[in-house]
Amino acid sequence: MSRITPKIRELSQYLIAYETKANKRLETNTPEAFHVGEKLRPHLTSLMGNVGFSALLSRALALANAEVPWLRAVRVRADGSLERLDEPAAQADPEQISEGSVVLLAQLLGLLVVFIGEKLTLRLLRDIWPKLSLDDFDFDKGEKHEKEN
Amino acid sequence: MKKKTDRQKAKLPEKSGNSPSKVTIHKIPTGVRGLDEILGGGIPEFSFNIIAGSPGCGKTTLAHQIAFANATAQKPALYFTVLGEPAMKMLRYQQQYSFFDESKLGRAVRFLNLSEVVLEKDLDAVLDEIVRQVRAANPSTVVVDSFRTVVRKAVANANELEMQSFIQRLAQFLTSWEATTFLVGEYDKEEMRDNPLFTVADGLFWLSQVAERNSIVRKLQVIKLRGQESVPGLHTIRISDAGLQAFSRTLGLLGTRAKPKRRRRLSMGIPELDKMMGGGLLEGDSLLVAGPSGTGKSALATQFIAAGLRHGEPAIMAIFEERPQGYTDRAETFGLNLKTPQENGALEILYLRPLDLSVDETMQAILDAVERIGAKRLVIDSLVGFEMALAPGFRTDFRESLYRMIGALTRAGVTILSTVEVEDTFTAFSLSHYTISFLTDDIIRMRYVEIDGQLRKVMVVVKMRGGNHSKDIREYVITDEGVVIIHPRTTQYHGLTTGIPERTGSSPPQKAEASPEPKAK
Repeated sequence: MSRITPKIRELSQYLIAYETKANKRLETNTPEAFHVGEKLRPHLTSLMGNVGFSALLSRALALANAEVPWLRAVRVRADGSLERLDEPAAQADPEQISEGSVVLLAQLLGLLVVFIGEKLTLRLLRDIWPKLSLDDFDFDKGEKHEKEN
Repeated sequence: MKKKTDRQKAKLPEKSGNSPSKVTIHKIPTGVRGLDEILGGGIPEFSFNIIAGSPGCGKTTLAHQIAFANATAQKPALYFTVLGEPAMKMLRYQQQYSFFDESKLGRAVRFLNLSEVVLEKDLDAVLDEIVRQVRAANPSTVVVDSFRTVVRKAVANANELEMQSFIQRLAQFLTSWEATTFLVGEYDKEEMRDNPLFTVADGLFWLSQVAERNSIVRKLQVIKLRGQESVPGLHTIRISDAGLQAFSRTLGLLGTRAKPKRRRRLSMGIPELDKMMGGGLLEGDSLLVAGPSGTGKSALATQFIAAGLRHGEPAIMAIFEERPQGYTDRAETFGLNLKTPQENGALEILYLRPLDLSVDETMQAILDAVERIGAKRLVIDSLVGFEMALAPGFRTDFRESLYRMIGALTRAGVTILSTVEVEDTFTAFSLSHYTISFLTDDIIRMRYVEIDGQLRKVMVVVKMRGGNHSKDIREYVITDEGVVIIHPRTTQYHGLTTGIPERTGSSPPQKAEASPEPKAK
């Protein structure tokens, strides 16, 4: 059973949407999760080193593979960056690519939540995306949509 | 007339009575309760320090506590991690402590991983990276954890000169940048002699775990601290939810509040006993109640507390043998209500029973409770139970510790009643096998005596430092009113203190006791 809660999935979608918008002029073939991963990488490697970040991302990828088959054609490099291999498995329609990105990032965020808790995870994300409002994802403050009601 | 020399022409500074003021070394707080007092006020600002010790002593927790206590967004703490505890795990575990302020993470407290530089490059590259980060962040505090790992390669290559140069440059740079530095590492004390790191360091804090039989006690020693006087010796530390807490070896010896000249007499809650004590116990005294099991020491202690509560004097009962409920229930059988005062904050019953306590921790717990409720009376029931609750290592210096504790509490204006169980040998009249009677101002001895075919109970006020007292040996019983002194002194026996007195007067007609004394719960 996936550990991704609706809230983490929503957070993943939110970050991907933000980064996709910011990177719309860049190459379109790159899965969105790669952009978010690149944004996360310097911050998390500075905290846990390349080895630590690569290990965490590899675990997230392994978990995501079970849900989205095309992610089997993705590997984590030693420096913690993501690489999409030129394999038949990597072929997928845009919707699947997009779903893979969401799941992969959500698994990574889920692992962070498991290890360091929700508060610290959000704290890290706020440092990486200072302009982004993440208050709605404050796990202690209840569901986003509840707040809006 | 002689020409003035150049030196005479130039106005030399006149010698003034005021010598130039020496530099003020500011001290930064450690954030560890009790540690600043041990260090002589805190850690000297801009100093270069080592936190050393074996695994599991609390080195990283101490470093974190210092970092969180001093870091601000303007003057952050840089925490370099190197191949030791992975950062994720560190964050996972350290956030459990109450000092861990997640709002400081990232801005005020910044964790930076140096592992790759250390693994792949040389010490120059490590220094360059630290310099780069320090220049960018302008930190108040820098921690390198573990520093031993940083220099491991140089040590393995036997490149002592490289290591020495690295340490020198690192120390000079960080001090110049006005950072207070802490290098955390697992070291043995034997390494101190040959390792240049220990020569360069301004402060050296050694953490250890001392095993004594089945108990483990953490200790801290300030081996070196330049520029200020710290408290020497091994100090107990404990790691709780709040992080590290340190207990100075001299806790309780400070403070000079003298006992007031005119002191009130406090009622013991037993009118006849008050009379025997010349009107009651002198405020601020330490009273020892000694007697064998079942003689009513705890009952007497309860009456003492209840009398204080009736006069609006908040109280603490530190108990080591019985559970608080047992105390409250027994008090109820004597018609004394201890529940309401506990509910309204006038009474705290501290049940202290772990088997690895230190006297200092106990003292701190009691002092905290005294301060919390403004206690005027304290019962320690009993000293035997107290000793049993201590880690074996602390039992050897129980007397000295007790001396500090009683001194600290009476200086705080608290009147103390301690109970101690002594064995009735029926040949001697021992006061306490601890030989601690010199620590107390007053002593009451309770004991069994065999009289007219019955095992009865007598008490005597043995000593009252602050005034005269009755010399009478008085018989008492424990009824539903608690300890009640019944008869005036008897002159028909001698040898009462041996427990087997000899009748010297005529034998009164013997009447069988109708019913036993009501038994306390």
